[in-house]
Amino acid sequence: MTVTLECRDLTKTYTSTDPPTDVLRGVDLSVRSGEFVAVMGASGSGKSTLLHGLSGMDRPTGGTVHLEGRDLTALTDAQMSRARLTRIGFVFQQAHFLPNLSIRDNVLLPALKAAPREQRAVLERVDALLERFGIAHVRDHASTQVSGGQLQRASICRALATEPAVLLADEPTGALNSSMSREVMDAFTDVHAAGTTIVMVTHDPACAARADRVVYLRDGRETGTRALGPWHAEDAARREDELLGWLRTLGF
Amino acid sequence: MSPARALRWRQVRGDLRHDAAVNVALVVVVALSACLMGTGAMVMERLLSSVDRLFEVAQPPHFLQMHKGEVDLAALTRFADRHPEIESWFVEEMVGFDGAALAWERPATGASGDLGESLIDNLFVAQNETFDRLVDAADAAPVPEDGEVYVPVAYQESIGLQVGDLLTVATSSGPRTWEVRGFVRDAQMASSLSSATRFVVSESDLAALTAAGGGQPEVIVEYLLTDPGLASDLERAYAADPALPKNGQAVTYTMIRTLHAISDGLAAVALVLVAALLIAIALLVIRFVVRGRLEDDVRQIGAMRAIGIPARDIGRVYLTRYSLLAAVGCAVGGALAVLAVPLLTRGVQTHYGAAAAGGRGTLVLLVALAAVALVVVLGCRRALRLVRRVEVVDALVHGSTLDRRQSRRRARRQARRARRTSLAGARGGVTRRLALIDLRADARQWSLVPVVFFLCAFLMGLPAHLLSTLESPRFLTYMGAPQVDVRADLQLADDLEALRTDLTAALTADDRVADVQVHALVLADVEAPDGRRTVRVEVGEGAAQGIEMIDGAAPGPGEIALSLLNAEELQAAVGDTLTIHEGDQSRSVVVSGVYQDVTSGGKTAKMHGDPPPGATGYTFFVDLAEGVDPVALAASYDERFEDVTVLPMTAYVEQTMTHVTSAFRATAVLATAFGLGVATLITVTFLQLRLARERRAMGTLSAVGFSTAEILGQLRGKTAATAAVGAGLGAVGAVTLGGPVLDVLVASAGVGLAHLELAPDPWVATGGAVALVAAAWLAAVGLTVRLRGASTSTWLRD
Ligand SMILES: Nc1ncnc2c1ncn2[C@@H]1O[C@H](COP(=O)(O)OP(=O)(O)OP(=O)(O)O)[C@@H](O)[C@H]1O
Ligand SMILES: [Mg+2]
Repeated sequence: MTVTLECRDLTKTYTSTDPPTDVLRGVDLSVRSGEFVAVMGASGSGKSTLLHGLSGMDRPTGGTVHLEGRDLTALTDAQMSRARLTRIGFVFQQAHFLPNLSIRDNVLLPALKAAPREQRAVLERVDALLERFGIAHVRDHASTQVSGGQLQRASICRALATEPAVLLADEPTGALNSSMSREVMDAFTDVHAAGTTIVMVTHDPACAARADRVVYLRDGRETGTRALGPWHAEDAARREDELLGWLRTLGF
Repeated sequence: MSPARALRWRQVRGDLRHDAAVNVALVVVVALSACLMGTGAMVMERLLSSVDRLFEVAQPPHFLQMHKGEVDLAALTRFADRHPEIESWFVEEMVGFDGAALAWERPATGASGDLGESLIDNLFVAQNETFDRLVDAADAAPVPEDGEVYVPVAYQESIGLQVGDLLTVATSSGPRTWEVRGFVRDAQMASSLSSATRFVVSESDLAALTAAGGGQPEVIVEYLLTDPGLASDLERAYAADPALPKNGQAVTYTMIRTLHAISDGLAAVALVLVAALLIAIALLVIRFVVRGRLEDDVRQIGAMRAIGIPARDIGRVYLTRYSLLAAVGCAVGGALAVLAVPLLTRGVQTHYGAAAAGGRGTLVLLVALAAVALVVVLGCRRALRLVRRVEVVDALVHGSTLDRRQSRRRARRQARRARRTSLAGARGGVTRRLALIDLRADARQWSLVPVVFFLCAFLMGLPAHLLSTLESPRFLTYMGAPQVDVRADLQLADDLEALRTDLTAALTADDRVADVQVHALVLADVEAPDGRRTVRVEVGEGAAQGIEMIDGAAPGPGEIALSLLNAEELQAAVGDTLTIHEGDQSRSVVVSGVYQDVTSGGKTAKMHGDPPPGATGYTFFVDLAEGVDPVALAASYDERFEDVTVLPMTAYVEQTMTHVTSAFRATAVLATAFGLGVATLITVTFLQLRLARERRAMGTLSAVGFSTAEILGQLRGKTAATAAVGAGLGAVGAVTLGGPVLDVLVASAGVGLAHLELAPDPWVATGGAVALVAAAWLAAVGLTVRLRGASTSTWLRD
């Protein structure tokens, strides 16, 4: 299988602190096309920093990031944001929706920007996405008017609207209660089943259990990785137990 | 310091550093307001104390009556005997000369000139002993010897006359010369708007000068009362007595004082008005800054309220902080005002004398500064009322300064807006559409920019347009002169008639000259409802050709056109008949029209006909053939005819208007610098806060794939667009509202104009607006340039 996203010896040092903080100390990660990888680790271990580096929002201090064979760290700002626009979808813990736009317009925003001349196709695609994730009925609402679960699903729609090569998610269920959390994870599973590559940071073993593979970060280094195999809803409990057992050996 | 206060102090200090740039901007705006307010107040105070001081030493009359002609002394004595409130009175004899009849010369250097260009009546008097004294720099009332003259300080200032210079007056029986012994200040006629001024000579010289002829004898009956408050009663009594002389103006003490205050206080009033404008801007900014600060701090405020600190105490922390800023601003502004005042009061000091810089000036400054500080602090307090409304739960959970009801209302508003607007179908790209949506959603905050830029553009445009009006060729028509190429004036020469013949011959023979008109200047005695007046009349073929009448038409044979001020003074309207006395004879002329004129004190007249003998001067209006350079021609004639002033018309306008235009040019430059500075400052402050507010939205845009350049460009575009709207409207406003403002100004200035067509300079209007927008753009670029390489993920962190 081809590798979609890959980083080699990724390091990130914040010099704004004294002494400088080494947040990432050489992370290697390769994500195959269609793979669902969960990243776990204690708070402050550098998970978000890793995702920001992979998305090109931050420039790493050292190392390389290849997306579909292209070295992101060698791109200019404009090229990098173009890559982020068309090839990467991002889902955050907080939805980060623009308050002055409706749910639908928020979802439309990157897709319209990426393909301004194909407005009709984009609109159809977005409306289909909203339908698929069960939020078509709130599409004209403001982001303050819908539930957290709906908002996070809208977030996934926004990330998918440009048909990206990879979906990055930073604790997408971190601010949700368990039923909403399940709602959102079902959406991720659904997206994964449709063939999208996913890298998701999470604290919740129940969420991580949905992934094909779990990577564990500690103090800016990858200290373990475990393949879980394809997800089946029937053996969710078994996967979670297995994962927890492994995580305990890593000091989770 | 108690621990609680120490804590508060630490909080205040720390927070001030946090927002350093914004706070500095706030201090600067407050300092500018305070400086202008303080300067205005102090200049006013200086003026009033200088006037008071001059009044004290010179003792102007409490009531005076001007008169030309015979005076019945017996009637005056009877009147004085009947009024015990009259402490002292006398009749001052004067003889008045036209500025053109006066010349000066400096024997040491051979330099010379005349006072012809001044628009003022020159009255020769002897020193008064009892009151209404003319005083020198040492506050003494000098009594000149024969052959000596004391000259009004205004001429020391404007012409640069010095002690030892010779002053020559052209009388009917030849020139008479005095030596300048010093300069005097005149409590009665010190105002820069006064149309007359007094020279002091000895009693016997005055008698001789009057006897020499050529001047206009005039008297002032002056009264000193036991109580100045009785002046208006005395004025009524005087007017009611038919035997008393009264064909001139009657003036009371209060009127003199008011005139002084108005004429020289206008600049101070303008300063105070601009200061008020600036304070309005400062209040807008403060509201914006304080609200922004509170929104940033809302979780902290919620936490403090949660542990039971009363809202009043929390508010006080902020109030202390902004009061401190206001105090610093006012202190800086006050210091600047102290430096600026001496520069602005130089004119006042010459006309009225230097008043000791006493405690009153300091007090006035302190009061003005305190007023500014108070307004600023009250503005802060108003904005800080928000602290009381912060609900603990909303603050802590939602990070919102709004209570639940407000939140719900805002959510509804947002929802409505979100439903109505749509990104799809957007023309001009998603980025532009997004910027527009944001602008509309945050219109309340963004409106600060256009409002400020409107005010700044207006402030910059007005003086510039006034200046361009004064400098426009059209302005000639307000100077009672036709629009010709070259003008030649001959006056005061011994061989006036011979010169006229020579010059006429030379000009007619010259093939560079297309047309010559000769106007004779005659002093005519005109019958007015309240007595005779001497009027300067230009007589010639088509004397009023090319002069715009604001009422009526140019004069034909047997007709006269009057300048606005003369029409007012003679109480004559178009169609009225005036009687003109020429020696023993008199004839009637019909007023054909009224025109605007600022030359000769605004009092001129034009008559059609052949120049009569005995003219006091001649003016030649010369039109040149195609392609002839007026400057070169004027120069060659000026050299050939030594006693004739030959000037290109443009130079003539420039020279005549120079004191007015230079004042306006300085104001225009100052206003431009000021407007640009304030606009930049406010833009920087606004954007700084706006950047903090929009951080999260910017992070979101970056995450979904907008480049940093696009995001910052959007902010710059919003700034430039709102600034352009404000500056554009302000520029248009200055052009359209400038006319009415100008009319009010010229009408109240009493210089002989009723209505000026504003001639706005289109380059200045657009240039000013463009400069303002450029300033906004540069401010935005300056603020955003350091964000270019920023790691945008930090914009999403709390
Ligand atoms: N701009 C910054 N300057 C300095 N240090 C930073 C900066 N951003 C993050 N850090 C530090 O880097 C470390 C890793 O942060 P990061 O957000 O990647 O952790 P995380 O694994 O995502 O933690 P969490 O599970 O709490 O989200 C933390 O110690 C954080 O304090
Ligand atoms: Mg994180």
